[in-house]
Amino acid sequence: MNYKLQFIFLIFLPSLLGLGVNYLNTNSLPLIAKPIEKVSSAEELKSRNTMVKIREIDIEMALELYSKKALFVDARAEEYISEGVIPGAIFSDDIAILSSKIDSAIGIDSAFVVYCSDDDCGSSEELAFELEDLGFTNILVFSGGWKSWTESGYDIQKYE
Amino acid sequence: MIYKNMNKVNPYIVFIMRIILGLVFIIASYDKLLDPQQFARDISNYHFIPFGFENFVAIILPWIELFIGFSLIIGVMLDGSALTTGVLLIMFNFLVFQAMVRGFNIDCGCGLKEGEMVGAQKLIENFTLLLFSYTIFINKKRIFEFYPKTTLS
Repeated sequence: MNYKLQFIFLIFLPSLLGLGVNYLNTNSLPLIAKPIEKVSSAEELKSRNTMVKIREIDIEMALELYSKKALFVDARAEEYISEGVIPGAIFSDDIAILSSKIDSAIGIDSAFVVYCSDDDCGSSEELAFELEDLGFTNILVFSGGWKSWTESGYDIQKYE
Repeated sequence: MIYKNMNKVNPYIVFIMRIILGLVFIIASYDKLLDPQQFARDISNYHFIPFGFENFVAIILPWIELFIGFSLIIGVMLDGSALTTGVLLIMFNFLVFQAMVRGFNIDCGCGLKEGEMVGAQKLIENFTLLLFSYTIFINKKRIFEFYPKTTLS
């Protein structure tokens, strides 16, 4: 068997095995991931499927929630915090400290907003999934993040 | 000079490289096999794989890593295993590099250490392992190779 056939064999056999095991697994993953549900109005925000714990919001919804004093969580690394945060936002690189802060501020079932640098920074979704694993049930990922907030000229809070 | 002599490496050194590379891939597959959902999220954070295919990758990739890890250690289909590890390591480095360029501060999802972030250190580690793959692939005088057998094995 030459190296090309070996390569094909070593890709296809484990792949088939992985698909088979996933099919038989009681917690099997769907082959295609579902995108995060988007929320674009206050009505959609209230009428939610409680099984869906992470949803996505845009800049307009973020501003509306900010005006209603919703809790914001900054998912960026602490070295970026010196640029400023959305006023009142909490942050910590330590997930235990952060989850404790959120829990003591609003509990685990109230909605709060998580954001990071921009549309595809990744940290906000990563943090949202970690917080979901810790029991938080109503997490809103602000897709535009810090970039769209500052580009829109909204207030920021600076830390020296 | 080093490049020219890379196909004349002592078979015992090549064998040690196989063990190291094999163990790295087996260990890397372990957490991913136990929690494919978390691995799918780690892949998703790279914002590179489109149309929700991160789940498909998270289902099959750990099994490929496990198979090639064992193949390298037990000496089965070494050419194919070394080639597959090389292709995977080039892909991993590309993903890490594009994440660094785009300024992502994310867990690399490599499965080796908890909380290991994308960065230059990861690129160097992968590049070192890529050299191991290449060395294993081009050195045909091998020990402990069981299928297909070469002259030494």
